[in-house]
Amino acid sequence: MVQLTATPLSALVDEPVHIQITGLSPFQVVTLQASLKDEKENMFYSHAYYRANKVGKVDLEYDSALGGDYVGVHPMGLFWSLKPKKLLTRLLKKDVMNSPFRVQIKLCDLQSPLRNQDTSTSMVSVTLERWYVAPGVTRIPVEEGRLRGALFLPSGEGPFPGVIDLFGGIGGLSEHRSSLLASRGFASLALAYWGYKDLPSQLQKLDLEYFEEASNFLLRHPKVFGQGIGVISTSKGAEIGLSMAIYLKQVTATILINGPNSPYGIPYVYRGYTHQSIPYSLQFLSTNALGFIEFQGIYEKIGVEASQSLFPIEKAHGHFLFIVGEDDKSINSKEHAKKAIEKLRRHGKKNWTLLSYPGAGHLIEPPYSPLCWASKMPNLHWGGEVIAHAAAQEHSWKEIQKFLRKHLIPVVTSQL
Amino acid sequence: MFQLTATPPNGLADEPVHIRVTGLPPAQMVTLKASLKDEKGNLFQSKAFYRANEAGEVDLERAPALGGDYVGVHAMGLFWSLKPEKAFRRLLKRDVINNPFKVTLDLYDSVCLQDSTTAQPRASQMVQRWFLGPGVQRKQIREGRVRGALFIPPGEGPFPGIIDLFGSIGGLVEFRASLLATHGFAVLALAYFAYEDLPDKLLELDLEYFEEAANFLLAHPKIQRPGIGVISVSKGAEIGLAMACYLKQVVATVCISGSNAILEIPLRYRDLLVTPMRFDWECIQIHVSGAVRLRSGNRDSRNEMNQQSVLPVEKAQGCILFIVGENDECLNTRAYAEQAMDQLKSHGRSSGKMLVYPGAGHLIEPPYAPLCFASWSPALPRPVLWGGDPVAHAAAQEHSWREIQKFFRQHFSGTGIKYS
Repeated sequence: MVQLTATPLSALVDEPVHIQITGLSPFQVVTLQASLKDEKENMFYSHAYYRANKVGKVDLEYDSALGGDYVGVHPMGLFWSLKPKKLLTRLLKKDVMNSPFRVQIKLCDLQSPLRNQDTSTSMVSVTLERWYVAPGVTRIPVEEGRLRGALFLPSGEGPFPGVIDLFGGIGGLSEHRSSLLASRGFASLALAYWGYKDLPSQLQKLDLEYFEEASNFLLRHPKVFGQGIGVISTSKGAEIGLSMAIYLKQVTATILINGPNSPYGIPYVYRGYTHQSIPYSLQFLSTNALGFIEFQGIYEKIGVEASQSLFPIEKAHGHFLFIVGEDDKSINSKEHAKKAIEKLRRHGKKNWTLLSYPGAGHLIEPPYSPLCWASKMPNLHWGGEVIAHAAAQEHSWKEIQKFLRKHLIPVVTSQL
Repeated sequence: MFQLTATPPNGLADEPVHIRVTGLPPAQMVTLKASLKDEKGNLFQSKAFYRANEAGEVDLERAPALGGDYVGVHAMGLFWSLKPEKAFRRLLKRDVINNPFKVTLDLYDSVCLQDSTTAQPRASQMVQRWFLGPGVQRKQIREGRVRGALFIPPGEGPFPGIIDLFGSIGGLVEFRASLLATHGFAVLALAYFAYEDLPDKLLELDLEYFEEAANFLLAHPKIQRPGIGVISVSKGAEIGLAMACYLKQVVATVCISGSNAILEIPLRYRDLLVTPMRFDWECIQIHVSGAVRLRSGNRDSRNEMNQQSVLPVEKAQGCILFIVGENDECLNTRAYAEQAMDQLKSHGRSSGKMLVYPGAGHLIEPPYAPLCFASWSPALPRPVLWGGDPVAHAAAQEHSWREIQKFFRQHFSGTGIKYS
């Protein structure tokens, strides 16, 4: 009798699942297919072909996929290789508290990859719950002063290390990373700064005092360590994260994921002073063979150069973790990080770590998130090779947590 | 006053266009956009950013594009970098007689990213791209089982006869035949499935059908005897190679992006049955875009197990030109062509020639056709990955088109060949 097991059936989305099949014929080739329907009813699919061993068993922790959406030994391959049925649809959980993503894993006979995924018949299937929040985590909507966002608190008394979570050009409020960080013991404030409620509908200037307000709000919270907070930030958010690390002494640990080392496009305002930024050189954009736009060329070399960068990164007194996807097509992230680090070095600073991932793209997310390779409006190519990007997400997520704990949890020394 | 000129404004689709802008302020950044709507209303667009020189000019034959859909000096870049608004659509001219493709060129006096719904172009020019030259006649063919369209150049003839075969797209694709006819050949665009009363699906290759087509051509008063040529791409090239091997009527064959073995479905010719080499479905990988990469499931035609599917090229009486792209993501065409060339050599034949194009993909078409990197294929739920690097692919199309015409001219004997 053919059996398909997946353990655990219900887990946090950043936890691995062990998938096994027993009861097949020796050396039988089968198809494993995963499917997921998101909150807007968009379908996502992935599949891989496996050959059973001589006792009719397949174990995804040891066996190599022969083909499909990935090849090789990848126990979580079915998750991170999920692809939207409708091109350019991004998988993003909006309601992180009340429902999981449900992933159905189906075991089928060997089927041509050219058959319609909607109609494949299965021998056996199992449905998994993938949660963005651990039991006991609370979500507190934030509407204090100008601040708009959501604060996620771990279960328990605390205090917890506090982190501000900033996304980029997507705008609005993305909560999925904060809810997961809270599930891992951090008080995480998912902070919106444009395109959300009564915040500006377009990003025309960046008011650093807004982010200072957010930092103070978090530090003041009775369940957050009062010595300093962290920032985790991606893309345009990482530009802001960098400015916070430099100008706000409240920030003592900053994670910059694929961000520029200078302010670009729009001015920064802080305490009455307007900081200039570098205009984008749009004439240097390129496109890939499918016509998706790549922005990596629009960041003027002059701004990337350590001596020309407008951010005095050497003034930051906290710690930096640079996370770079070397295949990022949206920004030449590797160059930006390299030049920022050169500047720190020239000033004798050692307060940085660089994680540079070959083959990873722009959107480095928590582990097992499918690679979002391109998005709509305009059609943008983010870059990334599926397998390398998945590995980068897994590795960086562990490093992110280690970094935040190291620099935000006060070390208690003996009083003896 | 800005002036945008494109010369010639009406020309053949395989002829270059010289685009120039004058009257700009010195060093002004401009955007040049091209757009085209195909016969089904699908929009294709391209753009590039240029900087005017001190004389306020941009001459696409000299000036490098700084960015956009291509970078560097590419006089025809706006044409071959056209991209579908809806991904995975392929640009293909269906009606070659009655109308051209109309390409609109727009000039914007800034770096213009947004679509033309917001900004207004400062100058515009429309360029017509025809797939048929003056005097070339088209005749619908329904003779015996043969279904297709015959293109005959103007004049008395006789002209070298060529059969044109496309691939698994099916139906009747005429634009290459009509262009080749404009260059002095009598070309029969031949359908073999999913057209009129031909089978809906390709379940078997019946070589006698293609022999009937060859004999039909040879019986035509305006077509040279005693032999015909074949130009063929993809699945069509497999058929073309089989024709070269088994039909003495075929004296010159161009196989573009084809296999040297029969694939997936059997070939039948009189008593002969050639069993196909199959794809390894379980090895086939999906590209990050969701398109299927058939090449990952290609089997090795040199493997002993597959020899009964390999075509006996040493039996071909005429000459064969293999054209392959190294970035072909559908078939490992380089390996297949190399095996065929080795087979010819080992039988003491020097009748084969191979052109390998680094960076070119599967769909090598006449010059200035946009690279189709992946597209929907009939009856398949996923797009198929064809591959190709845009700049290298464009260069391969330009070079190979000249080589194809040279090849046919060299291998057709006799007088009365008209060059145009």
